[in-house]
Order: sequence, then structure tokens, then C-alpha cells
Amino acid sequence: MKESPWPRIGWRNLGRNRKRTTLTALGLGVGYFACVFVVGWSEGIMAELVENATSLVTGQIEIHDAEYRPDRSLYDTIGGREGADVEALLRAIDADEAVVASAPRVYAGGLVSSGEATSAGVFLGVDPAREVALTRFLDPLVEGALPVAGRYEVVIGEEMGRQLSVGVGAELVLVGAGADGSMANDLYTVAGIYRTGLVEFDASTVVMPIGDLQELVVLGPDRIHEIAVATAEPDLAADAARRLSGVLEVPARPIVVASWAELNPVLEEYVALAQSFYWIIIVIVFAVAAFGIANTMLMATFERRREFAVMLALGSTPRAVMGIVVSEALAIGAVSLAGSAAVTFPLMAWLYSAPPSLEWLYGNVTLQGALLTPTLRVGYNVPAWTWASVGLLVTALFSALYPAARAARIPPADTLSGL
Amino acid sequence: MHARVLVVLAMRNLRRQLRRTLLTASAMIIGGGLLIFSLSFGDGSHEQWIDSGVRLGTGHVTVERPEFRLRRRIDDRLPAEVRRRVEEAFASPEIAPYVVATSSKLSINGLASSAAGARPAQIMAVDPVQESAFGMLDERVVEGRYLEPDDRLAAFVGAEMVESLELRLGSRLVVQAQDAEGEIAGQLLRVVGTFASGVPEVDRALMHIPLTTAGEWLGSQQDVTNVGVLLDGSAATARVADRLERVLADPVARGEARVMRWREADPALAAAVAIDDFGNYLVQGFLFTIIAFGIVNTVLMSVMHRHREFGVLQALGLTPGQTGTVVLIEGFTLTAVSGFLGVGLGLLCTWYFLGDGLDLTAMMENLDEMTFSGVAVDPVIVPLFTARRIVQVLVFILVVGAMASIYPALRASRIDVTEAMKFDR
Repeated sequence: MKESPWPRIGWRNLGRNRKRTTLTALGLGVGYFACVFVVGWSEGIMAELVENATSLVTGQIEIHDAEYRPDRSLYDTIGGREGADVEALLRAIDADEAVVASAPRVYAGGLVSSGEATSAGVFLGVDPAREVALTRFLDPLVEGALPVAGRYEVVIGEEMGRQLSVGVGAELVLVGAGADGSMANDLYTVAGIYRTGLVEFDASTVVMPIGDLQELVVLGPDRIHEIAVATAEPDLAADAARRLSGVLEVPARPIVVASWAELNPVLEEYVALAQSFYWIIIVIVFAVAAFGIANTMLMATFERRREFAVMLALGSTPRAVMGIVVSEALAIGAVSLAGSAAVTFPLMAWLYSAPPSLEWLYGNVTLQGALLTPTLRVGYNVPAWTWASVGLLVTALFSALYPAARAARIPPADTLSGL
Repeated sequence: MHARVLVVLAMRNLRRQLRRTLLTASAMIIGGGLLIFSLSFGDGSHEQWIDSGVRLGTGHVTVERPEFRLRRRIDDRLPAEVRRRVEEAFASPEIAPYVVATSSKLSINGLASSAAGARPAQIMAVDPVQESAFGMLDERVVEGRYLEPDDRLAAFVGAEMVESLELRLGSRLVVQAQDAEGEIAGQLLRVVGTFASGVPEVDRALMHIPLTTAGEWLGSQQDVTNVGVLLDGSAATARVADRLERVLADPVARGEARVMRWREADPALAAAVAIDDFGNYLVQGFLFTIIAFGIVNTVLMSVMHRHREFGVLQALGLTPGQTGTVVLIEGFTLTAVSGFLGVGLGLLCTWYFLGDGLDLTAMMENLDEMTFSGVAVDPVIVPLFTARRIVQVLVFILVVGAMASIYPALRASRIDVTEAMKFDR
């Protein structure tokens, strides 16, 4: 079977006017680059937001007593007044296939005083070894070391250190209310300073070994407020939460196992909304590009009136002329796709592995309480990028249809006689 | 005389190739329209963020002691002399026209506790009358009412804190903080109202109490930590801040006061505006690069097409420079006219939303609960036009048009007359 010659002729025509081909392809290529880059950047922002919402200071899943949220009362510990077998719960959680880390936590509120200055604080009791496997904010510390249980040591946020004018080695008095109604206070040494970038958190949260905090606020060792759980990927959290709520059992009171999407539904919705916008970007970019290409193709067709007239006079069908123009457009599309992909993807890979800092442009922002740092980080979104490629070829094809129809309708005799 | 001929020539060329002119123009018109549309909505939403941010905080411009931002201590109160000068400056004819409201407040951190537990609290002691004109919390009452002038021992508390301390309207709570003497002082307060600002961090921690109550409790009398001003738009920030800096030159030099613009006082908000603008500029930059390629291509092709025409022109006595100028005028006029049309179109489309704004609630169910750098995002965006923005856009379009016409114009000026005039067709 003989192959159709039109694609080959269309391809050859590209070389006949290199400058025009290059300029048209550049217009399309910039459009493609714009789509891939904007989608990638947005993916990077979303990925960082979700990561920071789930692994900076919280986990992807949180387990509480059913009454604990939103009041966060000191008394609503997992299992109520009787407490729970924390070790057994942690073992059961760690047994889940998606779970990579879990850690118990105790919360209390109180005053922090350095002697000359006093500030209000949230006391967070953690198991330091388990906590560093779960969240990032204690590892690495800005300064000092993690607190050791039984030595009355705490780690404070950089902002609190500044407000109280204290550093590593300084002494702090923590004052709080005990679960038995007593006034709880003790003297602690600052062992280290952390920084999350969340100013409110850094100004108010004092981290100490869980046993020390339980002792301060008079809670038994089996009374904790929260178990934070990390899964390998944020996407796995919802399923893992469902499995865990089936497995975990606390005799006295019901517990709630919530994934990050349930804890912060607005953030999850925002991520979904941003992703649904990608196609709008692709449509706008290529719609604008289409005008340029349609124009160029149309002008090229007028310029080559005689060429098409000769073809028609020699016996080509109008369909064949259309075929040539459309093939030419598709070939330009293919060239620009290949060219811009060759530039775009290495750049995306570079931005992905070594995101440059944008600190000169803006500082930390928080979206729905999740931290976003000023880096030009990109994420991969293969489906959206594939759609951008399709968009490029479709744009090339569509912009060629009208010029092609015009070319096919050239009257050969009139055109050739117009010498 | 010559210039006029060149312009006439260029205009005629545009008219002769009407279809080409229109196609190139449409890309520019759409681009210009999109640019104005997205920038006015961007500017509008930023102004809304800034407004709600500064009204929750300390205003577009605030005067405070330099150490206050770092340590937030009660020791960092403004000297009475500075406060008097600032208040005089607000009333001066240079600043007064921009002022919507002013507020002097004492802002400290403390601990709020009830039988249910204790929570860190950000305590703002305010003059109820001044603050209800300045802030917006009095419009966000969930239960009860805002503070009133003769309130004593009253607290207007965030809804989430009320919930977490298991308080009700009329319940009592204790606040503790460091007083002017450096001792820890407690004070019993009664909840007179609760608010929901839409920002969880604020609703969890903020409470307003009367300045007189704070003065007695902390031994600070009528002293305040900040004097802030709410302006009729963020655009006046720099002018007012510069003026205040001049008025306060002495205390600033002595380290007793500092004039803070909202960008310094709330860097996270400034960053939110910057990142949003950056994204917008990036997309528009890409769009106009594509449009520019289209224009270069069209003008260049028309130059190639009219090879002979330019040859004839030069043979008749036009210099290469003049030939290039014709092309330059053509490209420039094409972009300018279509760009301005696009801007007009964009203004028209945006105009429609000026009154009621564009309601985005349909896009996302919980959009009204979203917060960006401590500001609740309003799902109804009212666009904002500023003369500066429109001039910026017009200049940008002209620059793009000029740049896109330079290369084709150069080509046209470099035509070899004898070659061009050969009858080779």
C-alpha cells in the first residue's frame, strides 16, 4: 500500500521558510512551557502545604478521645479517667501497613516565666524518640539538644526565646493547673530551641518529655490526649484512618481517628480547587496562542497561492491541498512540542530536585494554617502535562483548519493567469 | 511633513490587510482584556485582605516602641509625649483626609483560665468607642454584644476560646499576665460577648477588654503599646508613614518609637500579597510573550510579502530609516490600538462587578472559611481600579508592541532595492 505523500510534503515545507516556522513554533512552545511550569509550580505549592500541614508539627492522622476536639480539655484523655494502654495502642497502630511512625502526646496550658518576663504557653509533652520519626520540627533543632526525661528539660520555639530573652541553658518556671485542681509549677532548663516558621506556634509551644508533663499536671502515665500517626504518603491517610478506627479499641470511651483531610477540610478542598483550575490555564494560554498561529498560517496560504494553484492545476484534489496545510501545522506542533519539552523537562527536574529560594520576593505565608516557605518548588503532574501536549497539537490543528479550507478553494486558472 | 506621510503610509497598510490586522488585533485585545480583568480582581482582593488584616491588627500604620514587636511586653509602652504627637499628627491637614479611624491599644500576651483549663490569650485593651470604628470584631458578634464605654471587668472573647474554656455569656474567667511592676497579676473578667472573625488562630486566642480595666489590673493607667491608624486605602500608607516619621524624628532617633507600615507589622500578609501578585505576573508574562511572537510573526511576514513595495518606496527616495519607520509605526499602532481596546474591554467586563463583586462561593463550598496568612478570605471579590495600574498596563502593552516591531522594521530597512525590484514572480 502506498503511503500518503502529504505529511512528507507538509514536513518539507517547514524547511522552506525557516524563520516563519521558528517563530510560530516558539509561540506554541512558550505556551507549552507556560502550562507545564504554572501547573508544576502550583503542584509544588500544594505538595508543600499538605506536607507542612501533616508532617511539620502534626501527623497525617490524629487519634483523640471522642470528646477532645474542639474543646481540647485537659480531662478528655484517650480512655477517659481510666486512661488506656498506650503501648498496646502504639503497637496496634505501627502494625498497619501504611503507618511509618506514631507518637503519643499530652497538651496543657500555662504560663512560662523567665524571671523578668512572662508569657502564656501551650505545654506539649512528647516521646522525643518517637516524635522525631513522626514530625520535622524537632529535627534538626536550631540550637541545643532534645530534652531528656526526668531532668526537667524543655525545648522552646525561637520566637518564645526572643520574647522571654532566654537561650539554651536558661531556667524557666512553668505554671499550670493540675488535673486534680492543684496549682502546678516547677523549674525547668531550656535544652534546645526549635523553629517551625509558624510564628504563633513558635511563640507559645513548650515541648518536654511526656512523662515530665504528666507529672507537672498530675496525669497518670497512661493518660494521653493524642496519638499522632504518620503514613508514608498523605494520600494514604484516609484509608489508614478507616482501618485504624476498626482495629483500635479503648474499653471505657469511644475514640476518633481522623485523617488530615478531616481535620483540615478547607485545605483539602483548596488543593482540589487549585487542581481543577489547571485546564483553565491550558485553555487560556492556547486560545491566545491560536490567534498567532491562525494568522501566520493564513498569511502563508495567501503567499503561496500560486504554489497551491499549480498543485491543483496538475491534478491534486482540494482535499490533498488541505492535507498539506494541516500536515504542516501538525508538523510545526510536533517540532515545537519536541523543542519545548527538551527545554522544559530538564528545567522542571532541576527545580524539583534543587528548588531555588524566592526569599528576595516574599516571606513565609500560611494558608489555612499550613506553612508555605518562599521557594520555587515544583511538583510533577503527568496527566495535566499530557493534556497540555494534547492542547498544543489540537491548537496547531484547529488554527490550520480555516487556512486549509481557504487554500483548497483557490481558483487555479484565475490565480495562475494573474501573472 | 515627512513624518505625516510615513504615518499615512502605515495606516493605509493596516487598512489594506484588514483581515490580518483584525486577527493580530484580536490576540492583543483578548490579552489586554485579561490583563486588566485579572489585575483589578487581584488588586481588589489584596485590598480586602489588607483591610481585614489591618483592622484585626494595628492598622495601616502604627507607632510603637522598637522592641515591642520582638518581645510584646508590657514594659514596651509608648511614652505619653509620643502618643500626644501622633494623635496631633493624625488630626493635621496633611494626614487627616486619609484617616478613617484611629485606635490606641495596649496589646499583651496572657493566660486565660476557667475551671475547664487554661489557654494562652492575646489580650487587647481598647477604648470601646474608638475600636468599634476601627476594628471589625464588633460586626462579628456571635452572642452578646461588643464592649461599651462604661463596661468594667468585661471581656469580648473569641468563639473558639469560649468553647475551649467552656464559658458562656456572663461566665467568669481569670486572666493572668505580667503587670507594670514585673509581677504576675490576675484579674477576674466577665464574658459580655463572643465573636467569630473567621480566622481560627484569632478566635482561639484574642480577647478585647476595656483599656480602663487593663490600666487598673496591670497598673499601666491609660498607657498603650500601639497607636494605629486605619486609612481609606492601603495606597496612602507610605505618605502617612513618611509624614509620621518626620513628626516623630526625635523620639525615633532616641529609640523610643518606631513607625511601622502594615507590610512590616504583618510580613505574612505582605508575603501573601507578593506571592499572589508574582503568580499573576508570571502567567501574564507568558501570555504576552506568546502574543508578542504572534505580532513579530505577522509584521515580519507582511514585510516579506511587501518586499517589492518597499523596494519601490526606497527607489522613489525613502531612506532605509524611513522605510523601517513605516513598519515600526504599523506594528506600534496595531498593538497600541488593539491593546487599548482590550484594556477598554477589560474595564467594561470588570465594571459589571464593581457594585456587588464577583461571588466565588460556587467554586468551593468552604471558601468562606479559608484563611491566607491570618486573614479570612472573602469569597466575594470587589475589583479595584487604580489609575496607576491602568497606566502600567498601557505602558506595558506599548513596550511589547514596540519590541515586537523592532526586528521586522530592521528587516524592512535593510532591503536591497535592485533585488527587490526584479520581476522575478
